Amino acid sequence: MIKRKSSAFLFVLPWVVTLFLFWVYPIIYSFIIGFTDRQLLSKDYSWVGIANYTKLLSDQQFLLALKNTMIFVVGTIPLTTVIALVLALLVNKQFKGRAIFRAGFFLPSITSMVVIALIFTNLYQRGGYIAMLAEMVGYTAPQNGFLFDKATALYSIMGMDIWMAVGYYMLIFLSGLKSIPDELYEAAEISGASKIKQFFSITLPLLKPVMLFIIVINSIKSFQVFVEIFVMTKGKFETATIVYYIYEMGLTTKFNFGYASAAAYILFFIIAFFSLFQFYLMRKRNTAW
Amino acid sequence: MVKRIVRYIALSTILLIMIFPLIWMFRISLMSAGESILVKNFVSSSVTFQNYLDLFKQMKMGMYFFNSMLVGLLVTLGNILFCFMTAYSISRYKSLSNKLLFSSVIFILMIPAHILIIPMYLLMVKLGIYDSYFALILPWLVNPIGIFLVKQYIDSLPSSMEEAARIDGAGEFRILFRIVMPLCKPVLAVLAIQIFFTNWNSFLFPFILTQSESIRTLPVALALIQGHQSIDWQHLMAGSSIAVLPVLVIFLFMQRQIVSGITSGGIKQ
Repeated sequence: MIKRKSSAFLFVLPWVVTLFLFWVYPIIYSFIIGFTDRQLLSKDYSWVGIANYTKLLSDQQFLLALKNTMIFVVGTIPLTTVIALVLALLVNKQFKGRAIFRAGFFLPSITSMVVIALIFTNLYQRGGYIAMLAEMVGYTAPQNGFLFDKATALYSIMGMDIWMAVGYYMLIFLSGLKSIPDELYEAAEISGASKIKQFFSITLPLLKPVMLFIIVINSIKSFQVFVEIFVMTKGKFETATIVYYIYEMGLTTKFNFGYASAAAYILFFIIAFFSLFQFYLMRKRNTAW
Repeated sequence: MVKRIVRYIALSTILLIMIFPLIWMFRISLMSAGESILVKNFVSSSVTFQNYLDLFKQMKMGMYFFNSMLVGLLVTLGNILFCFMTAYSISRYKSLSNKLLFSSVIFILMIPAHILIIPMYLLMVKLGIYDSYFALILPWLVNPIGIFLVKQYIDSLPSSMEEAARIDGAGEFRILFRIVMPLCKPVLAVLAIQIFFTNWNSFLFPFILTQSESIRTLPVALALIQGHQSIDWQHLMAGSSIAVLPVLVIFLFMQRQIVSGITSGGIKQ
């Protein structure tokens, strides 16, 4: 028994070390330096209380980053969810070549974000493919390309993100669809319900937990958007998001660790609030059935 | 019949939209350097592998590829071993401390990683491993997603074989690696692919925790090449194609494991 206990301890040791060294300690540490004016690698810094937080809430650059992040989240999530659901419904039934379509739809979501962002930088550039398509349908593309214009840059990146993510969430919807028993549809068929009626009274209600799960994980991810902003615009043309702002404040020329940590915690609280709210909704709906 | 044709046309259009950008990447990578990049010349543009040769000869592509592979494989191996050990312990020894550990796994799963950007940088500097392979590997050797995934799987396995081995006098390590691990092969394959992909594609932490070119991983190298001067699309897209290749190959052969990994927990991106 003693032997079992000691080996059980050995088994969990890597996780315990990782947990405390690389998760718990940094999380607490950054919370604390959020209340200091720590900069660069100097040891001289002092406690400033909530000054970083109050300063952030009146910092125009931060507020713009907050706004951009919100636009990103609110703009991409409904579209991603709906398109992913439509794709899942399209490839749910057995037909010839289904595996190819599924695989193709899914492929972008396992590709590196850096690579995707580079490809779309090319597609979105002046005279690029997307400008050409836009002009074919009578829309005048911005003169310097989609990414070099305040009016279109952020939305262009959002469009790319939707394109990239739909295949991934399609797969999660597919596994949700699989768990709906066929008997329900058979019964509906016998009682003469139309396909549309079946979708709204069987498929959609039974998919709600999956849909909420998708919305939760997608919003946690979208609140933290950074890589595509870094690669495509470097935060210019009003595309900086909160994580980009944290990076810029904390790890470029300014090395303003205290201030950047406070910004990170504001985002943390926003994400926590959204997640709890969504879990609450999920709970409420589950009990309603 | 008409309905079927309409469906195939719709699906093929979507498929084209979904894979065209990747095809376009590959097409640009084959054009000769300096050639103008126009979609209408998709077919008539030149076809050459010179860009790939240049990348390996002049642009250290081999080094970036090696770095990415090394880090990716070590992190994957670490996760297979450590997630498995932790998951086994949590699943089989129902002590209070293990219950707490499982709560810690769930809790960390929900922490958004952006909170680590600043403190992880400071920690690496403090530990003296900023800008080294250690910074790229050590923090990610065991991952809450992996523990969760494997724990669920071990929960569903009967423990009768372990009990029998224990009565026969087998030690805990022997039971763990000779009896339970082989049974866990399917879930460990799923885990390995997830971890490798996430790591192979990872940009944020490799970017902020390293500086030297000699340990730069492929995504970081690609993102930083782009920052210089005017963009040399042909070489950039050749580099991107190389970065996509391992993922594509694994995807073609192990689609089922990838799909089951996503539907049973999701990759944290």
